Amino acid sequence: MIELQHVTKLYPASSRPALDDVSTEIDKGEFVFLIGSSGSGKSTFLRLLLKEDDPTRGTVRVNGKTLNTMSRWQVPKLRRTIGCVFQDFRLLRNRTAAQNVAFALEVINKPQRTIKRVVPEVLEMVGLEGKAGRLPSELSGGEQQRVAIARAFVNRPLLLLADEPTGNLDPETSEGIMLLLERINRTGTTVVMATHDYHIVDSMRRRVIELNGGVLTRDQSRGVYGVGR
Amino acid sequence: MRVNFVLSEVATGLRRNLTMTVAMILTTAISLGLMGTGLLIAGMISDMKEIYYDKVQVSIFLADDVTDEQRTVIEQELAASPEVKSYIYESKDEAYQRFQQQFSQQPELVQNTPPDALPESFRIELVNPERYPVIAQEFPDGQNGVDQVRDEGDFLDRLFSLLNGARNATIAVAVVQALAALLLISNTIQLAAFNRRNETNIMRLVGASRWYTQLPFILEAALAGLIGALLAVGGLVLTKVLFVDKTLAGPIKAGIIPPVDWSAIVSISPVIAAAGVGLAAVAAYVTLRLYVRL
Repeated sequence: MIELQHVTKLYPASSRPALDDVSTEIDKGEFVFLIGSSGSGKSTFLRLLLKEDDPTRGTVRVNGKTLNTMSRWQVPKLRRTIGCVFQDFRLLRNRTAAQNVAFALEVINKPQRTIKRVVPEVLEMVGLEGKAGRLPSELSGGEQQRVAIARAFVNRPLLLLADEPTGNLDPETSEGIMLLLERINRTGTTVVMATHDYHIVDSMRRRVIELNGGVLTRDQSRGVYGVGR
Repeated sequence: MRVNFVLSEVATGLRRNLTMTVAMILTTAISLGLMGTGLLIAGMISDMKEIYYDKVQVSIFLADDVTDEQRTVIEQELAASPEVKSYIYESKDEAYQRFQQQFSQQPELVQNTPPDALPESFRIELVNPERYPVIAQEFPDGQNGVDQVRDEGDFLDRLFSLLNGARNATIAVAVVQALAALLLISNTIQLAAFNRRNETNIMRLVGASRWYTQLPFILEAALAGLIGALLAVGGLVLTKVLFVDKTLAGPIKAGIIPPVDWSAIVSISPVIAAAGVGLAAVAAYVTLRLYVRL
């Protein structure tokens, strides 16, 4: 599903690599926590999987495709197989929950018929039935993140990338979001979640990949956040 | 492609940056208007060349004290010369009439010119217009009743170099203005892309194609270019109706200046429109490729 081989990423502005010779593999259907302090390379890791950036050295493979050699016009096709969720939700403020989800389908040219059918389905799945017509400003943080997850999942991606999805939420709300991500994982979608939240990591006991200053320092199945936290 | 989606994005974009859009349209319009003017002048120059070069190439002005005998000799020599294709004689009266006609818009000038101030002349068309010096040699100035032999071609060359200069200056200003328009379009598109960065970021992440993401911006610029082109054509029409047809009515009637035909405006309008739309769209596309991450 995901394969990184000796991946190093240097940003021009910084002398220290954001990722330093990282190699790992993630299988289809896995749920992986990507942990590490700020600046440890988590976001860079996710950006490389989306081909938002190219690695300086090494190869990145996603869904059996080598991203290094992928041409620009193939990138949209790759991204249609990947859902993204962020700490700041990234919803369009002037569109309702349903319209936000529909937007993701409209811009990839899904027929209106399909959109009408799948948007209510996915909103129900994330627990927002009856709130389809609300604007993001009329929803709580947890509900906004559910809209974002609905948008990321509506296209049934093979891979869901979540960059600190609970970073702006209180623990109880976070728990709800994690249950939702687990549920999505059970449908066969691979989930890679970057997080700081050791409560969540410790309670779920999933595979943990830890980055420290761009170096992969730990890769543990059924791991915990780590000692000293 | 979802036409509604793209069009509503275009409309929103244009409305959101209204002042920039207006500036972009006006600059484009001025540039295209000047370009159109340049093209019209170019057309006029070639029309004028036909009018003038065909008619007269050399004029032999006769002295005030020319005798009938001298005049007959000159005419016989012209008739016999292999260099001369055709010639006409213009008497003082005829010259004065033509003068009156040409300057009918300036009555003071006509009033202040006595009827006999204009010399009589032979107007000659040469077989080869370049052979003017032969005629000049044959009829030396100030002898045998000849006052002066004038190469109208030379005069026309100077006139046309003046007109060519005017055309080139107009086009040069149009080019500078076009540069300003292109930079303004580029800025407007950058601003539009910045305003819609949330939408485009999401589109990028969910895998919308580059075209889908870029097309609204390119159409936005192209539409502004088209409106600019329409304004430019409108400006040319107004220039024709209010300036050329009114102020220049006299010289046009007298055949000194060719009229600006509607057909000329009609034929350059598509060029202007294509230039406006094309340049704006290309400027937008290049801007998106260079400065905006989509």
